[in-house]
This record gives sequence, structure tokens and C-alpha cells, in this order.
Amino acid sequence: MYQSPVSSLPVSLEGWVASSKDSVYDRTNLYDYLDGGAELYLSFGFRTLVNRAYSRPGQPDIVIDVFDMGGSKDAFGAFSLSRETVAREFGQGSQCTEGSVLFWKDRYFVSILASPQTPEANAAVLTFARLIDESIETESPPPEILGLLPPDSLEERSIRYFRHPAWLDAYYFLADENILHIGDTTEAVLARYGSQGERLVLLLVLYANDGDARRAYEDFKRYYLPELSRNAVVRVEDGTWSGCKVEGRLLAAVFDAADNGRASALLQSVFDRYRANGRRS
Amino acid sequence: MTQRIITRRQFLKTSASATIAGALLLDSRGSVFGFGEGDARSRVVLVRDENALDDLGGAREAVMQDMLDRAVTALTGESDALAAWRTLVGPKDVVGIKSNAWGYLPTPEAVEKAIKLRVIEAGVAEENIAITDQEARTHPTFKRATALINTRPLRTHAWSGVGSLIKNYIMFVERPSAYHGDSCADLATIWKLPHVAGKTRLNVLVMLTPLFHGVGPHHFSSEFVWKYRGLLVGFDPVAVDATGVRILVAKRREHFGEDRPLNPPAKHIQLADTRHHLGSADPEKIELIALGWKEGVLI
Repeated sequence: MYQSPVSSLPVSLEGWVASSKDSVYDRTNLYDYLDGGAELYLSFGFRTLVNRAYSRPGQPDIVIDVFDMGGSKDAFGAFSLSRETVAREFGQGSQCTEGSVLFWKDRYFVSILASPQTPEANAAVLTFARLIDESIETESPPPEILGLLPPDSLEERSIRYFRHPAWLDAYYFLADENILHIGDTTEAVLARYGSQGERLVLLLVLYANDGDARRAYEDFKRYYLPELSRNAVVRVEDGTWSGCKVEGRLLAAVFDAADNGRASALLQSVFDRYRANGRRS
Repeated sequence: MTQRIITRRQFLKTSASATIAGALLLDSRGSVFGFGEGDARSRVVLVRDENALDDLGGAREAVMQDMLDRAVTALTGESDALAAWRTLVGPKDVVGIKSNAWGYLPTPEAVEKAIKLRVIEAGVAEENIAITDQEARTHPTFKRATALINTRPLRTHAWSGVGSLIKNYIMFVERPSAYHGDSCADLATIWKLPHVAGKTRLNVLVMLTPLFHGVGPHHFSSEFVWKYRGLLVGFDPVAVDATGVRILVAKRREHFGEDRPLNPPAKHIQLADTRHHLGSADPEKIELIALGWKEGVLI
């Protein structure tokens, strides 16, 4: 019998009473619950969602959703595609907005939502978050590829981890086809560096093997940056600098850099970290 | 992989606004996309009223009626609201008002009522009018509908970029998830299905309290709705949606303090124009008429 952290919650709390039965969804029927919203979780290794609603007269319902993402990498990934802030009030990373808490911990991604928000509902949402957090006893590491991101001037809240090309389209559109061959066997991370006005974007993709990485690099060069044949970093049409390098299983690309030196240094720093890590991640 | 790949660099060549043009695939001044055919411009009317909402954020019925009347009159070029509505529907019509029931931000009942009242006054028998969302494909009145009126609030959407007028017709198909491919790219094809094609007489995009950003599995937080107090009205759903998206993007820029394109991009709106020729997404081909309250108009 599957045991979700939801099962540890009380039947009633601060006047809210749980609906009689939890709803459980898997990969075959998540659409029934989230429709288009299901795609995000299905693009990772989502396994099971347990949903419970709490009601209280005169107050909004509180909806609790606990996703078992199969592993901590994908739990972090689902969280990373939602967050706007870096905080850790709950779990291993959290975001609190009006009437809502999102957090990830171990292999779980957790959402608690009350709408419209009231002071009483906001307080209950935080209590539910604390109880779920406490019921998940272990922490697990985030994706190792994050360790390849140079920390200097990294905007941490911008980190997006994904394994489906749609999320590259979503956060930094490169092309209307999957020219970097991002898919189930790859891990990708996108992050911004610098501050407004001198921002640049770093994309890392880790492939299953060296050959896959090389083939992706060749297609990127062919369809996006043919000038890479001469230099690793080139100036593009809007005056900014873009670059790309591949080594072993890792492809790194930088975009929107204000100058060649900044782009080159960032790429160099990534591969220094990759080599220091024994070309593993 | 095909040779005709559209890349970010093509936008860089033609527009300084690559962030918007590339990631949103909209608002691309002189973009790499061709837009529609011919020179006809789609008229879109934006009407706003500072008093549109009550103290609890609900839509005021009398104000909705007035806003809708002003918008439809300006859209049709008629002298008054009744004359305007009579150009849209008449006594022989069976009218389906396609609404939206998404729990966190549904089509306000006041807007549905305002539409229905004018449809009746234009001569349509009450028994020949139905309002629904989920039952659009199966509702008996919708099944024999000769005319459709499409209305929903604009909101960001976790997979299609925005919940749009174009997307609102997804309930006309048996299996909506079949249209989810490539971020719902081809939603416009629904508008060409036999039981839908050519029936839409009016589109009303509700901009009273749009959702400009979403978080979490329900893609909702009340922190990211704002009281815009407007309606966008037009015949061309692509033009109305594209105009709504421009307002959303402007709000995101204002709120976040930087360019923040929709994620995912609202690809289905652009492709409704360039691939499916349902209407025009190009601001250059949209005649925008703005009425009423101007503060914070964002466009």
C-alpha cells in the first residue's frame, strides 16, 4: 500500500476538516486532475500524486497536493520550474506566496493552496506545510549538475533543471526544433548570471555519453552558431556574445554576454569544475 | 530535423526585442514570421471602467452591461448597443455562450448575464440560448447552435502560455489532451472542426482580474492577479488574444522589474495566425480602440 506524506496529516486542523477520501493519480490519469498542468510533472519521472482537500465553513478550501517524483532530482526540477525566490522555510527549498506554499524535499514536491486567501487560511496553510515537512524524514541531494554552475554572480532563483526540450523553449527560446537533443536521457540546467543590464544566460546539458554530446554540439553549430567553427565565442546580431563548448558528456552554452571575455571566462569556469569533478556529474 | 528551423538569431537580426520576440513568439515588430494575408486589420475594443469591481472583487452587473454595450457598439460601428447586437445574432439563431469554469478565475456570472440579456433583446428565444463550459460538446443547445459567443478570463497557463479565447474551445473536442502537443501549438485547428467552424459571432476576453503569473500545480496564487477592470472584445480571436497577451507581458514587466516573457510562450496564438490563418496576431494588423478608464492601461 502506497504511503504518502498526506497520510500523516490530521483529519481536522484549526477548523478545517478533510474530505472523506484522498484522490490518487498516476501517470495514466494525471490529466484528469491537472489537464494541461500535468505536462510539467509528466516531463519528469512523476509517479504518484495524492490530493486532499480540507473545508471549513466560511473559509476557502485548502488543497494539498503531494507529488512523488520518483527521485530528488526530479522533485527539485518540478520545484525549480515554479520558483521565483530562494527560500527554505520548508523542506529543501520553498516558495511562499499569498495563501500558497510550494516546497520540495527528498523525492516529493508539495503544494498547499487556499484561495481566496484569508488570514486564517494563510495560517493553516503554513501549519500544513510544517506538518508535511516534518513527516518526510529524509533529505536527498539536488541534481549533481548544479555543482557545475560557477557560483560567482549566479542568480540562484533563476536555476531551472529539466529533461524535456519544452522547458528550454519556455525559459530561453533557441529554436523551434530540439537542436540540442534534450530528452529523457539528458539533464539540462539553465541559469542567469549578473544583474539587470549585464545579464547573461548559461545552459548546461549533460548527455548519456560523449557521442550524444558531440552530435548535439554539431547540430547546435549547424543550426544556431555556424561561426563556432572558428571560435568558441562569437558576436551575434544584437551585439552580444554567444558561445558553446563540448567536452566529454557535457555541453555548455552561454548567451547574451556583454563581451567576449565574460562569456569565455564563464565557459572556462564550467569546464574547470567539470574536470575537477573527474568529468562526472 | 528539417532545414527550415526558426531560431532566436533570426529574431536578433530583425528586432531589438529578442527576449519578447523569441520567447513569446509575439509582439515581434518585423518578425521572421509572415502574418496573414492581405491588408485587412482586425478591430479589437478595449473597454475599462474604474468601478467595474465591487469591494470583494466581484464584477458589478450594471457596469458589465455598460462596458459590454460600449465595446460591441464600437466594434460594429453601429449607433447603439441593440443595433450592434442585431448585427451579431437574430431570431433564427440558436446561441451557445461558451464560458469558462476554471475554479480560481471563472468567467464572471455578470458577464454571462450581460451577454445573454442582449442576445435575448436581439431576438433570440431564451430556450435557444445556453451557457456552458465543460458541456460544450454535448449540451443539446450547443449541438444545434447556429451561433457561438466565446468568453473567458485571460490567465497565464502552465503549458499553453496563456488560457486564451482560442484555447477556450478545447471543450469542443472529445479528448482535450490530444491537443496538448508542443505546448498546445495547434489549438486553432479546433476552430475549423465542422461543429465549430464559422459560428463564432463575438469574442469577449475578460480582463477584470487577469492572472499574470502562475506557480505550483494549480498555476495560481492570488498574489499574481491584478484589478485591470477591462474587457477586450473583437471578432478575431487571435487579435483579441494577442492584444491581451501584450497587456499581460507589460504587467509582468512592471511587476518583476524586467522583461519576463511568458513561460511557456503562447505559441498557439502565433501559430493560429501563421500556420492556421485563423486571424491576426500582428499588432500592425490590429486596430485597437481603447475606451474608458486610462490609468494603468499598459498598452
